[in-house]
Amino acid sequence: MLSLKKFLFKGGSPSHLPEDVRASLAAWRESPAPPPEELHFHTRYVVVDIVSSGPQPESDRLLGIAATSLLRGTIQPDDTFYVDFSTLDGENATVDRQLMAFLLFAAKGPLVTYHVPYVGGFLQRAFRERLGVDFQPQWIDMAWLLPSMFEEKSHTVMPLDYWIEVFGLNGGGARRDAMVNTLLLARIFQMMLVRASGKQVDTAQQLIDESRASSFLRRTH
Amino acid sequence: MRTQEQSGQEIHESVGLVEMNLREAGRTRMAGNTQAFLRNHAPFSKMQPAALQLFAEKAQIAFYAAGSLIISPDSGKVRFFYLIESGKVQARQAGEVTVTEYSILSLGPGESFPIGAVTAGRPSTNVYTAVEDTFCYKLPAEDFLTLMASSPEFNLFCTQYIASLLDQSRRQLQLQFAQRASEQQTLNSPLSGIGSRSPVTVSPETTLREALEKMSLAGVGSLVVADDEHKPVGVFTRSDLLERVVLKDLPLTTPIGYAMSPDPFMLEEHATAYDAMFAMATHGIRHVLVTDAEGKLTGVVSERDLFSLQRVGLRQIRQAIDGAHNVEALLQAAADVRQLAFNMLAQGVGAEQLTQFISALNDALTRRVIQLNLEKHNFDGIEWTWLAFGSEGRDEQTFSTDQDNGIVFMPTEGADDEGLKGRFLDFAIDVNRDLDRCGFPLCKGNIMASNPQWCMTLAEWKEQFSTWIRIPQPEALLNATIFFDFRALYGQAELADAMKRHLLAQTAANPMFLRAMAKNALDVEPPLGKIRDFLTDLEPDHPGKIDLKKYGSRIFVDVARIYALASGVHNTNSVQRLRLAAQRLSIRGEEINAVLEALNFIQLLRLQHQYLEGEPGRQGDNLIDPETLNELDRRILKESFRQARKIQTRLKLDYQVN
Repeated sequence: MLSLKKFLFKGGSPSHLPEDVRASLAAWRESPAPPPEELHFHTRYVVVDIVSSGPQPESDRLLGIAATSLLRGTIQPDDTFYVDFSTLDGENATVDRQLMAFLLFAAKGPLVTYHVPYVGGFLQRAFRERLGVDFQPQWIDMAWLLPSMFEEKSHTVMPLDYWIEVFGLNGGGARRDAMVNTLLLARIFQMMLVRASGKQVDTAQQLIDESRASSFLRRTH
Repeated sequence: MRTQEQSGQEIHESVGLVEMNLREAGRTRMAGNTQAFLRNHAPFSKMQPAALQLFAEKAQIAFYAAGSLIISPDSGKVRFFYLIESGKVQARQAGEVTVTEYSILSLGPGESFPIGAVTAGRPSTNVYTAVEDTFCYKLPAEDFLTLMASSPEFNLFCTQYIASLLDQSRRQLQLQFAQRASEQQTLNSPLSGIGSRSPVTVSPETTLREALEKMSLAGVGSLVVADDEHKPVGVFTRSDLLERVVLKDLPLTTPIGYAMSPDPFMLEEHATAYDAMFAMATHGIRHVLVTDAEGKLTGVVSERDLFSLQRVGLRQIRQAIDGAHNVEALLQAAADVRQLAFNMLAQGVGAEQLTQFISALNDALTRRVIQLNLEKHNFDGIEWTWLAFGSEGRDEQTFSTDQDNGIVFMPTEGADDEGLKGRFLDFAIDVNRDLDRCGFPLCKGNIMASNPQWCMTLAEWKEQFSTWIRIPQPEALLNATIFFDFRALYGQAELADAMKRHLLAQTAANPMFLRAMAKNALDVEPPLGKIRDFLTDLEPDHPGKIDLKKYGSRIFVDVARIYALASGVHNTNSVQRLRLAAQRLSIRGEEINAVLEALNFIQLLRLQHQYLEGEPGRQGDNLIDPETLNELDRRILKESFRQARKIQTRLKLDYQVN
């Protein structure tokens, strides 16, 4: 997997990036995305949540990323990711590497989060500004998908806490860290996958399409 | 100067290293989240931080929607240990199960499964299904085993769980028997089915004369005084007539309300006979009134009613046996022994006590048969002893035990030995026949006192023992397994003692004999399969079944005999033999206890099988189909066989048998 040396020093990375980041970036750019037609069971979903200094992706700062994968429908402790940018203020090369590491972790697979404009917005800006990457992953937005999959529980977009409550999960208090949030979201996603399969939404691609459709429909109607 | 290749290597390591660290950070955070759950649930709450950490860093989180299957016997070897985080899981026994209460188990948050299967690395015998939406932590089997090995608290939890299965199984067995027992009338029967259902009643205003006439007419010794609503207000008995009427000079025109014993003792219909008996004993009363939920009279239970329930009691049987004047009278007692043994099984008496108890009553029965026959055969002035061999000799009789007996006698000086032997044989034929009538079938191998071979003088017996020990031929070894387990049942016990001393001296002097015995004992191995749990094809005539005697208890009994002979233990009972021999051979206490538990469990299964499956009046067998056992029993049976294998291995080492 690491025999990607032939891609070294290629690609259009910003020149300020450390050599290793540029090399990794090039390798990442060349790497294929996993086939989206796979069944949920065979798909590696990455559930992600972020910490920010405020709600505005364009003006507030990204402080941390917490992610975990869902493989064979199971949350895997060996396949989790956590970065806290606030502790390493100003160390540019380190932040670049950490952002790069997240790209490698996400591995171009479908990303699951709650409220894409917020999470995706912060990530997009960070990757654009730091790595010169236009970060456009295949998003699955639970905020929109949940009301479409669990119509009996809500018809409209609700705060995540609502769903945690509805599904009887232990939210563990008001102030949760990003990883706890991610794990709660991952659990809800596990439940949602069962529901999705019941509605013949069997593959990652179908789920991504469903996510797009639900957010489009609900936003425009 | 570095080559491009070298620097490329380093470059990858650099971002790779950061990724590794951030993955590590992720794992630590997730583990922290899992630990928060673990800390709230035993046994994890008591575990050391390092063990918790191990669990948390390895445990995956899985979701099972309501109604979905989690594990079944068909899923093969269990690969995970499951800990329920939220929701509810139902464990259901696969296959045919007789007792429903036990076969379905509901598990909730903090409970885990399938401990036995994941420990043993085999498929689960239960079907686990999520009955609600359920989240589980899934710990891979290898990490589970690591945790078992590294955390004493977790190890204790798992081993105690498995040990508790034994207890649960025993309770289950009791439940099964209690159900059977309640179908018959026992002290557990509700009062609604006992005693008089239509007691004679009068109102409190009734005159004494009318009441007494009514009693006389109905031929009863007591009546109940009840009000208009049929609620009892008092009782009047014959003893009241003396104390409260005659001696107090009450005129017969007095209303009975003035003469009755007021505030009678009452119990509701669903109370048991035992409650009534307890009340009688506590309050010194002879009648208990039975009422419905509204307090209306529905019946009366007298002391006599309860005694008739208790007909099958230890003391009564002993009295019946000792007082029997002929064999016919003993037949009922023999049936009662069986009934009482069954009741005791239902009350949860363990196998060791139960087999000894059956043996004790059978002893009494046999002695009485012998005594009755001695009225026709006179051996005054002659020293002789009736010997019990085999399981009877070991106090290990189950419900189906045939006769194994013999006679040892001292020839009188100057008398005709053969003539005396002939008299003993005539006597033995009568005894053997009567014992057969009482439910101890004649021995198929003719090991009976009526066989001239086993009716011998003390000198002959000693010589016979010596021959077997000196020349341990296969037949001699087989005989040793029967005849060396003997005890005196009637007559001069000193003769049996002399035989025993001779036996122990001889075996001590012939180490080769014990080695041959050991080799013989190792011919049969416990039926443990390499792939399947049990080997059930060892008996060609009974496919699918295991002979619990041949492949189970006998293994223990054989080993016990060898160690007893080797360490000079006089006892014949296998449990006592193993306990005493263990002390002398300094085998650790818990080790021998595990062996004894295993033996007792197999014996209990045999007793259960013989009673529950045996057709009435027919000798039960020892063939059980492990598929029909519930999960607990299967698991414990397997563990019991492992214990059998363990003591066999020990024997193998001790006697250098390959």
